[in-house]
Amino acid sequence: MASFARPSMLRQTAMASRCAAISSVATRAAIARPAVVAAFHTSSKRPAFLPPGPLNDPAFVPEANSAHGSYHWATERLLAASLVPLTIAPFAAGSLNPFTDAILCGAVLLHSHMGFQQVVTDYIPKRGWPRLHKAFWWALNLATVTVGVGLYEFETNDVGVTEAIKRVWKA
Amino acid sequence: MSALRTSSSRVLGASFGARAAMLPTRAAFTRSMATVSETPAEPEPRLKTFQIYRWNPDTPSEKPRMQSYTIDLNKTGPMILDAIIRIKNEQDPTLTFRRSCREGICGSCAMNINGQNTLACLCRIPAESSADVKIYPLPHTYVVKDLVPDLTYFYKQYKSIKPYLQRDTPAEDGKEYRQSKEDRKKLDGLYECILCACCSTSCPSYWWNSEEYLGPAILLQSYRWLADSRDERTAERKLNLENNMSLYRCHTILNCTKACPKGLNPGKAIANIKLAMNSS
Repeated sequence: MASFARPSMLRQTAMASRCAAISSVATRAAIARPAVVAAFHTSSKRPAFLPPGPLNDPAFVPEANSAHGSYHWATERLLAASLVPLTIAPFAAGSLNPFTDAILCGAVLLHSHMGFQQVVTDYIPKRGWPRLHKAFWWALNLATVTVGVGLYEFETNDVGVTEAIKRVWKA
Repeated sequence: MSALRTSSSRVLGASFGARAAMLPTRAAFTRSMATVSETPAEPEPRLKTFQIYRWNPDTPSEKPRMQSYTIDLNKTGPMILDAIIRIKNEQDPTLTFRRSCREGICGSCAMNINGQNTLACLCRIPAESSADVKIYPLPHTYVVKDLVPDLTYFYKQYKSIKPYLQRDTPAEDGKEYRQSKEDRKKLDGLYECILCACCSTSCPSYWWNSEEYLGPAILLQSYRWLADSRDERTAERKLNLENNMSLYRCHTILNCTKACPKGLNPGKAIANIKLAMNSS
């Protein structure tokens, strides 16, 4: 692992580029910092090379929560799978009633909401950008509610989603 | 000694050899010297250029660069590892990389060759094309030097899944934990993993979230212990994956399966974990 090399040389490089880090790290970096350091080509905010804690300790295991784990995953899959019959049903049955319309709208809305949640979790993780993460999370919630209200208005005061698609669709 | 293998010289050699048995030794010596002194024709050199990623921690102000080395494939073994060992021996002893077994069982020489994570010892030098071979360290890892990535956190994650048999009940015969042939079969395709990190470092999800997502290699190992009929902590192991980061950052991209130099299928193992998480 070339661990012998780490304390002496590598830490300087890794730390100098981001000297305003955690206090213990900062003191280490202050001991020896090269004058010029080439841009360290990394997008990660984690200090290079050395994860926190003793090197032989196992990585942190988060607290178990099925709502964020297996149940969430199963809900996503079932929702995605249910979209197929829900999309076909109104056209196959030939009757466009507001009840199936409402279920379809709700399912699509929830499906896209959960999909975008995954995007936020992937690309704006809480550990790296906690504030931005929160901002995007609530922006997404706001967007979902807005779309939900819009769909409700469309269903109650206008023709409804399936009817609208039927009118637009000229194949 | 290729000149000696041509048919004419072999025939000559045989006839001279037969006569030499009867002649005084001095005469035989001079004749054989004449045969050997024919200069064998040098085969056309097959030159191949390797562009290798270089970064030296001793000079941190210098940016990483690609350095080219040209070698003759006639004098080199067939694999990429043979080539870089040759470069290190003959051209540049400062070139740094990990290697050990040279036969794909230790996982040390994992690197990115022509855009694909693989083991240098199992990757043939593409001799038919004249294009340069580009060699980088495993992508999205911290580089210790040249082709040596820092795998500390990878190993810490491996440790976090407790990769060993956990049991409370003793064996029935007091000797060993027995397993049916069918149960043993479930471990095929899992136990062969050598933890070379080719799959994990090819996974975009692992690139973005390697601090929390375990990555395909560790999840394959995780499933190896979940699937083991002798292990009694299956529930606890599953509980450790019950969060939105450790397991569920996998979005079935399947770069892992494409990358695995051992031909394993981490994507399938992860899918099996996901099913197992919901089936109890």
